[in-house]
Amino acid sequence: MKINKLVILCSMILLLFLTGCVGGKKEKPTLYVYNWTYYLPAEVITAFEKKFNVKVVYDVFSSNEEMFAKLKAGGKGYDLTFPSGDFTKIMIKEGMLAPIDKTLIPNFKYIDGRMIAKIKFDEGNKFSVPYMVGTAGIAVNKNQVKNYEHSSSIFGRSDLKNKMTLLDDMREVIGLALKNLGYSVNTTSDEELTKAKDLVLQWKKNVLKFDSESFGKGFASDEFLVVQGYAENVYLELDESQKSKVDFFVPKEGGPMYMDSMVILKDSKNIALAHQFINYILEPENFAKIVDFLGLPSINTGTKKFTTTTPNYQIEDLANCEFKEDLGEAVEKYNKIWEQIRI
Amino acid sequence: MSKHKTSSFNRGLYSTSMFILTIFFFYAPILVLLIFSFNSSKSMMWEGFSWRWYSDLIYKSPALWASFDKSLIIAFFSALVSTFIGTIGAIGLYWYNIKFKKTLQLMTVVPMLLPEIILGVALLIFFSSAGMKLGLFTIFLAHTTFCIPYVFLIVMSRLDEFDKSIVEAAYDLGATELIVLTRIIVPICIPAIVAAFLISITLSLEDFVITFFVAGPGSTTLPLYIYSMIRFGVSPVINSLSVIILIATVILSLLSLKFAKGIFK
Amino acid sequence: MSNRRYGYYYTAPLVFWVLAFFLIPISIILVFSFLKKGLYGGVIYEFSLSAYQSLLNPTLFKVLITTLYMSCVATLLTLMLAIPTGYFIARSKHKNFFLFLIIIPFWTNFLIRIYAWIAILGNNGFLNQFLIKSGLLENSIQFLYNPLAVILVLTYTYLPFAVLPLYSTIEKFDFSLLEAARDLGATKFESFYKILLPNIKSGIFSAILFVFIPAFGAYAIPQLVGGRNSFMIGNIIARELTVTRNWPLASAMSSMLTFITIIGVLYFLRENNKGSKNKTNVKA
Repeated sequence: MKINKLVILCSMILLLFLTGCVGGKKEKPTLYVYNWTYYLPAEVITAFEKKFNVKVVYDVFSSNEEMFAKLKAGGKGYDLTFPSGDFTKIMIKEGMLAPIDKTLIPNFKYIDGRMIAKIKFDEGNKFSVPYMVGTAGIAVNKNQVKNYEHSSSIFGRSDLKNKMTLLDDMREVIGLALKNLGYSVNTTSDEELTKAKDLVLQWKKNVLKFDSESFGKGFASDEFLVVQGYAENVYLELDESQKSKVDFFVPKEGGPMYMDSMVILKDSKNIALAHQFINYILEPENFAKIVDFLGLPSINTGTKKFTTTTPNYQIEDLANCEFKEDLGEAVEKYNKIWEQIRI
Repeated sequence: MSKHKTSSFNRGLYSTSMFILTIFFFYAPILVLLIFSFNSSKSMMWEGFSWRWYSDLIYKSPALWASFDKSLIIAFFSALVSTFIGTIGAIGLYWYNIKFKKTLQLMTVVPMLLPEIILGVALLIFFSSAGMKLGLFTIFLAHTTFCIPYVFLIVMSRLDEFDKSIVEAAYDLGATELIVLTRIIVPICIPAIVAAFLISITLSLEDFVITFFVAGPGSTTLPLYIYSMIRFGVSPVINSLSVIILIATVILSLLSLKFAKGIFK
Repeated sequence: MSNRRYGYYYTAPLVFWVLAFFLIPISIILVFSFLKKGLYGGVIYEFSLSAYQSLLNPTLFKVLITTLYMSCVATLLTLMLAIPTGYFIARSKHKNFFLFLIIIPFWTNFLIRIYAWIAILGNNGFLNQFLIKSGLLENSIQFLYNPLAVILVLTYTYLPFAVLPLYSTIEKFDFSLLEAARDLGATKFESFYKILLPNIKSGIFSAILFVFIPAFGAYAIPQLVGGRNSFMIGNIIARELTVTRNWPLASAMSSMLTFITIIGVLYFLRENNKGSKNKTNVKA
């Protein structure tokens, strides 16, 4: 008979659960934001919620590819997301974005003109508003590695064999090699790509693995001495006391860089609120909080008097870097090369 | 059923030592996790004792707790429903001559064979073209879907080779179907049902890939939350959360051992 | 068993679920595999066999072989640990407690457990430090980032899924048979091999399915603890779906894998049924 009691108990809980799902209507207007984790400090969101008496539902993803695959397969319900440049272009082409009404975003004027000039994925910012720029640099453990240049050629050093990692990302690795050879990160020339492939294959002999997930942890525990990766990823794994061992640099030859933008999705039901949110983020005082939190260079010209920390690298360091663009059909060439490198 | 004996043969040295090895194998990483949850540093090197991650967990992690609650609710209900559907389905298929028996058996197992990411995308396409709102409910449906094959196979393997004459005898003595089901078949299956329920909970708590695709706005589960930290480093707060989960489940299982004997035996 | 009516009711929920949530996704995948790929993912609704043509790719074959090798070894290792463990639990007095003990570590997050393994096996990890301090080693060994590390973590991750079905079948095994065999002069090994194993066959079958199939489709594990060449088929499918955005190819690969495993399962089921029929004959 105890089984019966258990069944009754369980079905009662189930009923409770189902009715709980049906009830609970929201009265406040709600903005659904889909973003990278830790990409926006919670205090900024809460302040926005308070100021405008709205609710923000914040969900996270860990790569452009995942976010795109999900939205492409029909994931609906989000108002705002933060794709990188190449994906912004793809989403524009695929008609997934709503146009930006700049009259609703007066703070757009704070965005650094030098950066806007570099944008090719959405010229004139019809569909996107810049959020952050950054690049995958190289972090070196300077306690254990001596005599090196700030160059991507460090991956050719066989004395560091099995102590180095490259990202598990086709565009980042091939792009780094292309820049090392003096070519564009968006090249479609077969000859240049073949040379880049040969260079990466040489590097591959020395690297322990291609890793985009745990290189920060490995670097923190001295497992890896040289890693290609994002600064925030390396630094967030380290305590203050350990930070002195890191030399993070953008290679002098340059490399691919990214610009993540704020975009409004076409099926958004809160387009006005989404504009308000973008404008709020670009407010210099708020934007300063964000760059302080991330340690990334600010592209907002108004933040100087509000920031309290120095970023891990400066906008000027990015001089030789180039935005990754969507390659269209030519991406097949990259795919093929990457397959030959990885498998 | 044979009663327990503790002769040397039953408690073979080999099986005991393998059991200990397995437990050691299972708990070695858990031990590491326990140690790091008290580490004062973020990295995987010991820097000194601290409660830092526990206080962070309790005072500073509302989003983490919210995602944990969601995971728990989904795991419980999808395990419950999949255990029910899988068990009753296996019993039905096993005791009755149903048309398309083989086909149904096969179709039940097939979703297990699809790579997770494919099942995730396919379910998302299905849900969104059916106009369903993505959220906790779609995650629950997806989790139930991938748990059913496991439940089905476990219960099936328990029923397999079972001595059918007991059931025949019960019918001959005038038992109704309901009595045969609740008094004979289900009690026989209890170890399998418990095992299946536990597996389902585990699968559901664990799943990231499928959940990622079928989740909607505001339905971030614990694995989604943790995986999304990857780019910025997974916080050791997760270690302390894991330790708390472990301790809670150990206490619960000890309690269930004491009070729920009637249910499980 | 002819006059019983409830059988259909028992299976009704299962049939409903199979129809709604299994058949439809599988059909979607099958249809997609015969379509043209969209440039940015998705599909174009035009018939095409190009996905299946790209399956005839030697690198793919190479990955398939590695994947097969790794998941086979992991499955074997798992069985070697799981059968005695299941046996031990089935014979113990505290079954439920031990079951919980087996399953509890897996209620913590998967990623966290992998990180714990990295902390154990790393160059500065616990194992290396222990070996060096105890004088067994001079320099640390590279345990991580190679196929062996992948196999180890695969075994670890899927072991509980093998223990549970084995436990539930061993639990109903009539242990007096073993004693009888021993009384008749069989060695421990013989009584295990000839009496126990055939009687828990269906449990072993489920255990193999539960380990081999997920291991075959694994993709996070090779990514986290594998080396520069550790690509498994799961990584390729995930890559085709997200990075290279060739959905038809990903679908074709999955369909092929599913098809091959279905044949395997069918074969297994047939063998299994044969075995149980023989056994009932002996009993009668």
